[in-house]
This record gives sequence, C-alpha cells and structure tokens, in this order.
Amino acid sequence: MNDPCRDVGATTFTASHDPACGDAELLRRIGQADEDAMAAFYREHGRVVFAQVLLVAGERVLAEEIVQDTMLAVWRGAGSFRGESSVGSWVIAIARRQTRDRLRVRRLRVVDDAFLADQPGSGPGPEVMALDRAELAEVTGAIRELVPAHREVLGLAFGSGLSLPEVADVLEIPVGTVKSRLAAARTALNRILNQKGQNR
Amino acid sequence: MNADSTDTLSSHLDLGDLIAEAAGQPIGDRARVHLASCEHCQLEASRWNLVADGIRDLAAAAPEVAQPARPRRTGRLVPAGTWRRALLVVGSAAAALVLLAGVGVVTGVVHVHFGNNGTETALTAVTGCAQLQRADGTLEQVNGSSVVIKTASGQPVTVTTTATTKVTASGALLGDITDGAAVLVAGTGSDRTITADLVFVNGPASLNIPGTVTVRGTASDVTTAGFTVITSDGTRVRATTSGGTSVTVFHASLGQLQAGGSTVVIGRPGPDGTLSALGVVQPPTWPGGAHTSVSMRNCSPASINQAIMALGAG
Repeated sequence: MNDPCRDVGATTFTASHDPACGDAELLRRIGQADEDAMAAFYREHGRVVFAQVLLVAGERVLAEEIVQDTMLAVWRGAGSFRGESSVGSWVIAIARRQTRDRLRVRRLRVVDDAFLADQPGSGPGPEVMALDRAELAEVTGAIRELVPAHREVLGLAFGSGLSLPEVADVLEIPVGTVKSRLAAARTALNRILNQKGQNR
Repeated sequence: MNADSTDTLSSHLDLGDLIAEAAGQPIGDRARVHLASCEHCQLEASRWNLVADGIRDLAAAAPEVAQPARPRRTGRLVPAGTWRRALLVVGSAAAALVLLAGVGVVTGVVHVHFGNNGTETALTAVTGCAQLQRADGTLEQVNGSSVVIKTASGQPVTVTTTATTKVTASGALLGDITDGAAVLVAGTGSDRTITADLVFVNGPASLNIPGTVTVRGTASDVTTAGFTVITSDGTRVRATTSGGTSVTVFHASLGQLQAGGSTVVIGRPGPDGTLSALGVVQPPTWPGGAHTSVSMRNCSPASINQAIMALGAG
C-alpha cells in the first residue's frame, strides 16, 4: 500500500506537510491496523517524542525503549483517542507515563522533584546576567544539568510544539503552575551558568 | 499582557506571551506592538529565546533512532516489518528534517524559499506574512546598529537592528574559530581527518550535505592550518582549513559581517524606507548550490527567527 503521507520530491532541506494526512486521520487508520499509517505516525511524531523522552530519561537506550513502548501504546490505543486534546499532546502524555513508569522502576525521581521544581527562584539579578552572556553551547550544557522536572517542562514548552495549556494537560497541573515551573527552571539554568562562569 | 501573579512585571509582556514568543507560537497584536518598542521585554524575550534555542539544539542533536530489537513482548500486534520500516523512514527523514527540528515540524503559514541562482545563493521568496519584507544584495557598510546593503538593482537599503536581531556571518572567518567553540564541519575525508569546506560556529546541531562528511564537536588545538574537533564521545577529528574554507558564524555581531558579502535581510518595514531586521544573514556558499524551503507555524518573530537560523545553515 502506498503511503500517501510520504514526502514527495523533497530535496535535502525541504519538507512538506500534507493536510490530508492529518493526525486524526492517521489515528483512525491505525485503529484499523493500517501499518503504513503507523509508519507515517512514527515519522510525524517519533523524533519529537524521542527527543523529549531522551531529555528527561537521559539515556539513549532507555529512551529508545520508552519510545517503542509509547508507539506500541499508540498502536493499541489509537481507537480510543477521543479528540479531546491534540494528537501531539496525547502521544507526549503517553510517552511521559511510559517514562515515569520506567524511571520509577529504577527508583529515579522524576515526578517527585516537581515540588522543588516549582519553588520560585530568586528573581532577576546577577544570575540573569549569566544567561545574558551565555553562548548557546553553554546553555545546552546547562540544560542537561537541570533536574528532570525542569528539563521536562522546558522540553514540552519549547521542543514539543505544545501550547502552555497543552503542556499543563500533559503534566496534569494548572497553567499557572507550568509558568511557575518554567520560571523556576530558567532561574536554575541561570544559577548553573553563573556557577560555571565563576569556575572558569 | 496581563497582571498574572506569576509574571514579574505586569506592565510588560506576561510570561505566557514570552513563552509563546520563544516557542514560535502566536501572540496578540497588542503584545507584539509592545514587544517591538520595549527594550525590557526584548531582553526578556531574548533570554527565553536562548533557552528555547538550547532545547531545540538538544532535540536536533538527539541521535537518530536506531532500528530497535525485535519486540520483546509476546502477542505484539505490530509486525516487525512495520517497525523496521518506520524507524528507517524516521532515520532517513531525520537528516532532511534536522533543520526543521530547530524550526519545528509545522503546518505552512510562512514559506521561505532559499535557492541557488547561478553561482550565488539568494533568498527568492518570503510569503505568508504580509508584514514581512526582505531585501537581499551585497553588504555595503555597517554604521553602528545599522547596515546598508545594495540590491541587485543598485538601490541602497538601510537596515536597522536591535539586540534581538539574529545575525549570521559567513566568509573568511577562520579567525573566529577558537578553542572551545562549538563547531560543525562539513568536507571530505575519513573518520579521523577532514578537509573542511564549510565550518559552522555556534550553528546547527547536525547537517546533511550529500557527498560530504560532517563532524560536530568542540574546537581545540586551533592553528592557522586547522583545528581538532572533539566530539561528544571524545573522538578527535583533525580538520584542515584553507583559504577556500567558508566559515559561518551564528549569533554573530554586526562587526563580523563581511563587506561585499551576499546578504539577506528579513524584517519589517520601518520609517523612511528602512527595514527593521529580524535577521541579517550572510549565507555560506554551498557546494553545488542549495535549495531550502522552510515552512513555519506562524508569523511570530520567534518563528521567523528560527527560519532565519535555518537559512543561515543553507
């Protein structure tokens, strides 16, 4: 069966997006055991899900297993998708549950650090200056040192294409708490950058 | 804009707007107008943009998903063939979409086309956002925070910049490769040595140029003849450079722009025929030319800036 969602004529840096291959339609076809639709769904969401899972889990092999389990859950649960959220936030939420379960088995704290993650930072000050003078590579390195809950909320807000209400749905917290956590994450990021700057 | 208790300054953009801006999602007209004139909010937006760029950089740097082992569970409903094919498709698409990983996989509103016209790359179209204009030509001069470019018809265009303007410079910038710089090198060679055709500094996480070898890491042992790239796994690859090596510096300063260099500006029309730049890009010279088409989610400055970053990579 031809995959109607496959990019046609794409050049090296060209991508196309066919509205007819919408996520809901893909899920409908997956619900009917359409393997090509599953492949297209993976192509559409696999990389974003993998990046988010890897950001939180921190281990490539583990992240691959979690993504595989997530896609299995999609295959099995596509028929139950009710359209109450975007498909993107739905699959990210599945991946988050899979990640949480896996890390819980390993007794790693992911959700439990959310309380600390939401504590307000010290506000603008010298730490802000650290971010102002930071290079992208430094910021990337500092993000890796954040606690998982902070990496998670930043990844959802900036790497997953979700709106703040969708991030709130995925995290099962109010939008205001998402904002608090983002602000706390940035403060923590500033602090790490500041410390790195002092150590240079 | 509101007085949300989470937000630091209720008279400025609220955190939701700043996050949306950095995430490339639409913000209201009122917020956009405020942002255009408020240095405080521009600085805050710049900080959040940097955080967002860091996340996108990590996402783009995520390794391609390898073909997984055959499913472990019994009674699996998905045949291995589908998984194998799906992952291969993702793997092959990842390289092509790597720039879009930084841009976001999106539905098209803005379409930026960057093509090869003869021997020089040039921006050929920006459509979808009525408030955007573009100008391309050669860089005449830099006057403080303003830049003057001369279009192909000889018309000078004055471009104004702000602290949030994305600047990408390309040319004979070997001196800007310093120890500790994040680099991506494209060229010819083997696993341990590479003759650099293109070097990106603080640029894209990965890149796919057919027929070339690429290596990403941190520059070390920089000399006039080249430098060593230390990859994330500690592998050391020696890159040799020459006068023909094109260097592209992302997050550059106006002072790094090359006089006479091909320059593309995307921005909003300002008073007196000036162009208020969201991005000033001197693109690298691609081996064999380039053809880029970027689709954006919306017309927000963050989205456009992300496209500009992608354009800077080719």
